[in-house]
Amino acid sequence: MADEGIANRYQVLEELGPSALFTRALTRPRGRRSPSSTEDDIQEIQQEISVLSTCASSYVTQYKASFLRGHKLWIVMEYLGGGSCLDLLKSGIFNEVQIAIICRELLLGLEYLHSEGKIHRDIKAANVLLSETGRVKLADFGVAAQLTYMKSQRNTFVGTPFWMAPEVIQQAGYDFKADLWSLGITAIELALGEPPHASLHPMKVLFHIPKNAPPRLEGKFSKEFKDFVAQCLVKDPDFRPTAKELLKHRFIRSAGKVEALQELIQRKRMADVRVDHVKHPVYYQETLHSISPKDDADEWVFDTVKSIVPRRGTVRSRKPSSAFSVDDAMRKLDLKDGPLQPNTPGTVRKSTMRRQPSSASRQNARRDSIRRRMSNGSPRSSLGPKRPLQPDTSFGNSGSTMRLFRRVPSDGSNPSGVDPSPREFANENQPPPTYHAPVEPNSKEAMLGRRLYNKALEPCLDELHAQTATSTKREALARLSDAFALLDAVDPEGAYHLLRNLVSTVSHDTKLSNTFLPQQQHQQHHQQQQPKSQPPAQDGTVLIKSRPSTATTLAGTPPASAAGSPSKLIISQENPHLMSHRRRRGSMLPQPTSPTSSFAEAGRFPPAGRERGGERERGGDREREREREREREREREREREREREKERERVAALALEARFPGRAAVPGMEHCKALSDLLYARWTDGLRARWGIVGGA
Amino acid sequence: MSFFFGRTRARTNTTDLAKQARDHVTKLLDGPQGPAKAEELAKVLAQMKQVLQGTHAEAEPNTEQIYQLVTSMIEEDLLYLLAVHLHRLPFESRKDTQVIFSYIFRFRPPTGPQKPEPLALAYVVEKRPQVLVELCKGYDHKESATPAGTVLREVLKNEAAAAIILYDDGEEQGSSVRGVGGINPDRTQSGRGVFWNFFDWIDKSSFEVSADAFTTFRELITKHKDLVPRYLAVNFDLFFDRYNNILVQSNSYVTKRQSIKLLGEILLDRANYNIMTAYVDRGEHLKICMNLLRDDRKMVQYEGFHVFKVFVANPHKSVPVQKILIMNRDKLLQFLSHFLEDRTEDEQFIDEREFLIKQIRNLPPAPVPPPQR
Repeated sequence: MADEGIANRYQVLEELGPSALFTRALTRPRGRRSPSSTEDDIQEIQQEISVLSTCASSYVTQYKASFLRGHKLWIVMEYLGGGSCLDLLKSGIFNEVQIAIICRELLLGLEYLHSEGKIHRDIKAANVLLSETGRVKLADFGVAAQLTYMKSQRNTFVGTPFWMAPEVIQQAGYDFKADLWSLGITAIELALGEPPHASLHPMKVLFHIPKNAPPRLEGKFSKEFKDFVAQCLVKDPDFRPTAKELLKHRFIRSAGKVEALQELIQRKRMADVRVDHVKHPVYYQETLHSISPKDDADEWVFDTVKSIVPRRGTVRSRKPSSAFSVDDAMRKLDLKDGPLQPNTPGTVRKSTMRRQPSSASRQNARRDSIRRRMSNGSPRSSLGPKRPLQPDTSFGNSGSTMRLFRRVPSDGSNPSGVDPSPREFANENQPPPTYHAPVEPNSKEAMLGRRLYNKALEPCLDELHAQTATSTKREALARLSDAFALLDAVDPEGAYHLLRNLVSTVSHDTKLSNTFLPQQQHQQHHQQQQPKSQPPAQDGTVLIKSRPSTATTLAGTPPASAAGSPSKLIISQENPHLMSHRRRRGSMLPQPTSPTSSFAEAGRFPPAGRERGGERERGGDREREREREREREREREREREREREKERERVAALALEARFPGRAAVPGMEHCKALSDLLYARWTDGLRARWGIVGGA
Repeated sequence: MSFFFGRTRARTNTTDLAKQARDHVTKLLDGPQGPAKAEELAKVLAQMKQVLQGTHAEAEPNTEQIYQLVTSMIEEDLLYLLAVHLHRLPFESRKDTQVIFSYIFRFRPPTGPQKPEPLALAYVVEKRPQVLVELCKGYDHKESATPAGTVLREVLKNEAAAAIILYDDGEEQGSSVRGVGGINPDRTQSGRGVFWNFFDWIDKSSFEVSADAFTTFRELITKHKDLVPRYLAVNFDLFFDRYNNILVQSNSYVTKRQSIKLLGEILLDRANYNIMTAYVDRGEHLKICMNLLRDDRKMVQYEGFHVFKVFVANPHKSVPVQKILIMNRDKLLQFLSHFLEDRTEDEQFIDEREFLIKQIRNLPPAPVPPPQR
C-alpha cells in the first residue's frame, strides 16, 4: 500500500505527552474517538485534511502528510515547540505587548484564511500555537469551513461556547466575521487568563452571549487595547471590521516583533523546571488490538475452498497489560527508594499524565523521571535504543510532530502514568474545568479520592469509552468522564465519599452485593493464575488479588489477606501512607501475619512508627495486605462504576439530546438502524405479499 | 449574442484571458520555459477567478464578463487543457482552477429559457466528455486529487455527467466518448473505462487520495436512482467482482470498513432491489461475508453482520446459500450467540442477532430449492 512508504519515512521519536499532538501541534478534542470508529466521521477528517492541505501560509500550521497504519490515521504536522497559548497561560497571563503581537499574527492568519474562503470557527488560545522562535500559528481546523462561493454563509453550530460569536449561536447565517469575534474573546483570554463568563456553564453561556451586551475588557489596560477588543466584539457582524481592517488598528500597528514572544516560552519552561516538571520522554507504543475472533481454529466450512478470504498475517495482541505490568515491575525493581519516605498516593501518575503537578507531588515527579531513565531495559524494546538519556534532548529538535489522529484508550491497564486519556483533549473544548488547578489532596480522604480517580475511575471510563460505538453514547460517556475529572480536580474528597457511600450501600443490599462482589472474586482467581511463583493461599478464607508486578517481587511470600468487608477496608483506608508502599515490597522479607492482628496493628501504628527499622518487615506485609484489599475494592468499584455509568450514560444521552436540539446528527452507526428497518420491513412484509409465500424457512 | 457588442472593454479582457491561459498551458510541457510559463499562467488563472467570484466583499461579479469567459474557455478548449494539466500547476493555481471549474460548471446564462442548463456543463456532457474523464484521472496524482475530486463531486450531481463517467469505455461502441447521446446502456462494459479505475484509486493510493476517491465513488453509486441500478444490473458480475476482490479485501482498514458499509447501503437501497436479490443468491458472496464476521477487527465484523443478515433473512434462499448455512449451522449458532457480546446497548443489533439465530436454527435439514418466482 502506498501509505506504507510514507509511514516508513517517519519515525516516532517521542510522544510529546499524553496529548502529543494536541498540546504541541494541535489541540482538539478528538481523542474521544478511537480508530475503531474511524469512518463514522471519516468525512470530517477528510474535510480537515483538505482544508489544511490547501493552506500555505506561515500563519497556519503546516500540514505535511497523512497516512494510515493499521487502524490508525496519522497526520504529520509541522512541529511547533512553543506549545499552545493555553499552555503558556498556565505560567501566567500575557502582557499587552505580547498580546498585540499575537493578535497581529492571528489577524494575518485570518486574513489569509478568509481570502481563501475558509472560516476557522474555533479561534481560542488553545488553538494558537507558538514555534520556538515565537512565530504564531493557527491550528486545529477540525471545524473549519471551506466556502465554495465567497458570498455563501454558514449555519452550522460549531465552535467552543465561550468564544462563539452571537450570530453563530443564533444560527442565523454567519461568515468570516465570526472568527473576529472569537479573536476578541481570545485577546481577553490572554489578558485575563480566561474568557468572559468562564465561571458559567458552557450551555448557559450560549444564552448569555446573544442576549447581553458584548463583554468588555476592564481593568488597567491601555485605551488602544480596550478599543481593539471592543472592535472585535461588535455584536452585529455587519458593523464588525474585517481582518484586513483590524490590521490597521492602532493597537496592532504598534505591535512589536514575534521574537518578543520567546519570553513566554522561556517563562513556561522555567515554570516547568521549577515544579520539576521534567519532560519525561514518553515513547509511542503501537497499540495492538486484542480483539481476537472467538475460536480461531474453527473456520467456516465451505465445500470447496476452505476460506475465500486469505487470512492476512495480522499482528496479534501481545497483551498490552502484561507488557506494561512487566515494565512496571522492572521499574519498581530499579527503585532505590527508601521504603518509608513520605509518599503521596496517586500523584506520580498525575504529574506525568495531567501535566499539572501539584506541589505535593514534586518529589514524586522527580523520582518518577529518574526511574524512567533508569528503566531502559524495559520490554518496550522496539523503541529502546532510540531513547535519549536526557529527558530534554528530544524536546524541540525533531522536524515535525506526529499527530496520532485518534487515540485508542488502550485498555484499563494503562501503564506508569502514561495515559492517553481522551478527557485531556476533551477539556480543550470545555475550558472552565481546565482552569481549575487540581486541588492538592490534603486529607487522607482526598488522597484516596484522587487515587480512586486515577487508578479506577479514569481507566474504566477510558476502557468503556473505547468499547462504545454509538456516537451519542460515546459523547455521554465522555461527558461523564469530564465530570469526574472535574470532581477529581476540585474535590477528590467528594469522589472518595461518593464511592464509599456507594460501596456500603451496595453491600447492604444482598442482591447487589451478590451481583458485584462474587464477580469480582472471579477476576481475582483469574489473575491469580498468571503469576506462577505465587503459592496458593494457605488459609482457605483468603483470596489474593495481586498484580503480576507484585508477583515478581513477592515470590515465595505466603500470602495473607483478610476478606474484604467494607468495615475493614475503612480501617485500611485511614492510612494513605500505605498506599504507595506496594512498590517497596521488593526489599521486604516475607512474613506471614494473621490478617486480624495485622489490621489491628495497622490501626494503631501511626505512619511515623514505621520509620523504625525493626518494624519494617511487618509493616510491609501489612501494607501488602492492605494494598490487596484496596486492589480488590478497586476492582469492585470498577464493576460498580460500569453499572452506574450505564445508567448515567442513558440519562446523559437524553440530556444531551435536549440540550443540543440544533445539532446536526453525527453520522454514525445510525444508518444501520435505518437500513435494517428497511430490510425487515421489506423481507417480512413486502416479499411475502409479493410472492404470497411465507418465508418460514 | 449581439447584446455584447459595444461593450468592448470587458470583452477583450475576458476573452484574452482564456487565450493567454491556453498559450501558457500548452507551453507548460516544454522543459526550459516551464517554470516561467507556470508563473504567468498562475497570474492569468488568478485573474479569471476574480472575474468569476468578484473580489472578496467588494466588486460584484459581472454576469456578462462571466458569460464571455465561459464561452471563450469553451472555444479555446481550456477546460480540457486545465483538467489534463491540473497536477502540473503550481499549488495556488490548482486551487484557483478548482474554483474556476466550480463557477464555470454552475454558471447559467442570464437570458434564455426559464431554467437554463448550466452552459459549460451542457457543452461538456454533449460535446467534450473527455473533460470529465480527465478530471477523474486527477486521482492519478496526489497534487490534483483534491481539487479534481471537489469539482467532480459537484458536477456528478448532474445525472448526465454521472452517466458520462459510468459509460466511458474508450472507443467502444456505445461508450460515452462521443457525448451523452452516444451511450448504449445495455452493453456490458469492458472494465477498461475510467469508472473502473476508481477501484484502484481507492485501494492503491495514499490516504488522502483514497479517501477522496472513495467519497466521489460513493456519490456516483448512490445518487442516481435510475441510472445506477440499470448500470449495475448490466454490469453485475464485473462490478461485484471488482468490489469484492479489491475494496472489501483492501489492506486499508478504512477502505475495507467503508466499502462493507457502502455494500450494505447499495444492497438495501430500494432502487437496487433486483441487484440485492441477485447478490444474495450467490454462494460465494455469502462466503466472503461470513469471513468478514470472523475478521479480527470488531467494526469489520459489525459492518459484515449487516450484509450477512440480508442473506439469512432472505425467505427465498438459493440452494448454494442454504447449503453453506446448513453446513455451518452449529458453528453459526455457537458463533452468533457470542457475536459482539459487548454490544449490550444496541438493542436493534441484539434483536437482529436473535432473529438470525432463529432463522438459522429453523433451516431445513437439507437444502430445499426455492419456489419459482
